Amino acid sequence: MKNTLIKSIIILSSLTFGVANGAEKNYSLPLSNPSEPASLKVELYRGTVRVIGYQGDKVEITANISVVENKDLSAKEKKITAKIAKKLSQHGQTKTRSIEGLKAVNNSMLHLEIEEENNEVEITSESMNQYVDLVIKVPSKSSVELEVYQGGDIHVEDIQGSLELESYQGGITASNVSGPLVAETYTQDIVINFSDFDKASPTSLTSYTGNVDISLAKSIKANVNVQTYQGKIFSGLDSDFIPNEDVKKQSKKGKKQKIVIGGMMQAKVNGGGQELSLITYSGNLYIRKEK
Amino acid sequence: MNPTDIIDWKIASLTNGSQLMMTDEMTSYIEQNPEILEELNFIELFWHNKSHEDVQPSAQLDANFYQMLSRAQAAQSPVKESDKHSTLLSFVQQLFVPKALVQFASLALVFTLGFNLNQPTIGDKQQVGLVSLQQEVSSLNTMLALSMLEQSSASQRLSGVAYSKQSDLSDPLLVEKLMGLIATDTSTSVRLAAINRFVNVQNINTYTEQLLTLAITEDNALIQIALCRLLLNQGSAELSTRLKGLVKENKLPPEVDEIIQANSAVSFT
Repeated sequence: MKNTLIKSIIILSSLTFGVANGAEKNYSLPLSNPSEPASLKVELYRGTVRVIGYQGDKVEITANISVVENKDLSAKEKKITAKIAKKLSQHGQTKTRSIEGLKAVNNSMLHLEIEEENNEVEITSESMNQYVDLVIKVPSKSSVELEVYQGGDIHVEDIQGSLELESYQGGITASNVSGPLVAETYTQDIVINFSDFDKASPTSLTSYTGNVDISLAKSIKANVNVQTYQGKIFSGLDSDFIPNEDVKKQSKKGKKQKIVIGGMMQAKVNGGGQELSLITYSGNLYIRKEK
Repeated sequence: MNPTDIIDWKIASLTNGSQLMMTDEMTSYIEQNPEILEELNFIELFWHNKSHEDVQPSAQLDANFYQMLSRAQAAQSPVKESDKHSTLLSFVQQLFVPKALVQFASLALVFTLGFNLNQPTIGDKQQVGLVSLQQEVSSLNTMLALSMLEQSSASQRLSGVAYSKQSDLSDPLLVEKLMGLIATDTSTSVRLAAINRFVNVQNINTYTEQLLTLAITEDNALIQIALCRLLLNQGSAELSTRLKGLVKENKLPPEVDEIIQANSAVSFT
């Protein structure tokens, strides 16, 4: 099971492969078992990812990598960078030595790692000082896991496999997907267009202050759960949302009543089906149904 | 390879009526994860419990059986109109598509009722049998929940939390697992689902301190708010005061104060 043979590793580096800053590179990655579903996992510190499903059996990658100058960093990132430098300095790892006769060289090495093993494709770029734009074409039945820490958005289209999408600073959009889908943003919106809905596993979309906007194809059956503390809920569903927690509780003495705030509400679409949960703190929830 | 694959193989093996060959990969996986053997033994034991199948059920048990069958049916994907009047066996076979634990749970429920409840006894013995059956089903759901909570896919872990709702929280391992998810799971959705699992727990007081500690040490505001809401739902004035104090000490986000205020505003004597 633990086949350690790595089928393919590609490391992009401006120093070793001569990738110019901002240059676009294309790779076509054959899968180990083209007849089997693939899985794609992408982890970027900074950048954008667009994943498109297609009827092929390879993973096609277009990468555009550029160096992020210190001036491009957000105030928060500058603070983090300064903290790291200070910590390193405290540990004596960055003691200044004589630079007499030396000139400063910009550290512009770009690094992106692409790995394939048993149809599991992993693409990672954890460097804070580079921005990576990725466009990836995968077989449409692939499962996809994307995580972007800074700045960029995630976009997915035409994927019928499971999806796990996480963008800390950017937004998430997906169209023509069926899930199961677990997506999470902090401040930006999640906008999903479901053409079908997975019956086996639940779907859950969560944002702190971002809006969550979903569109359901006409035939989809689902139990749509909504929960927001300060946001508003807008629904185009035929069925009503009903609190799915018991909102009134009787105390032992029978005198006190209590209403639970922020509990979930549920609407059954086309008679109900698998769970589809939308949760925010202050973002609005929009539930649309195709007519 | 994961536990679900092994369980699927076991179910397929049992439904085919003959032992399918175990691959080297499976053998190796089981050697590395001996705890799965318990699950396999349980499933096998479950299957071979059909020794009472020749006993005819009473009318009441028959009615109960079909009621449960109908619940299981509702939990599945829609059944074609033409299949509605097919035999019990064909329905059970339909459920036995070995690809989802969800289907396995429904099947187990049906088989348990079919083979274990068909005892030629009435009254107290029947009641005892029912209680025993409920315990078995709860135990099965706990096992399934634990198995799914271990999965690497967030969606499958969500399924695991959903399964835990069909089990009481008498198994300390399940409680520990759910608390672990609340504390450290990588997905906020899974963590919120695990918190919501405790909403209808009657003896929530048992977990108050643990949940409060998690709320204080948490840095995801949405999780903190959900935890505090869960604690406030207990309706304890003392706990409400403690939470207010923690907000003042900046150990909880100001949003929690808003939740407390709202909670106080709508609570009345």
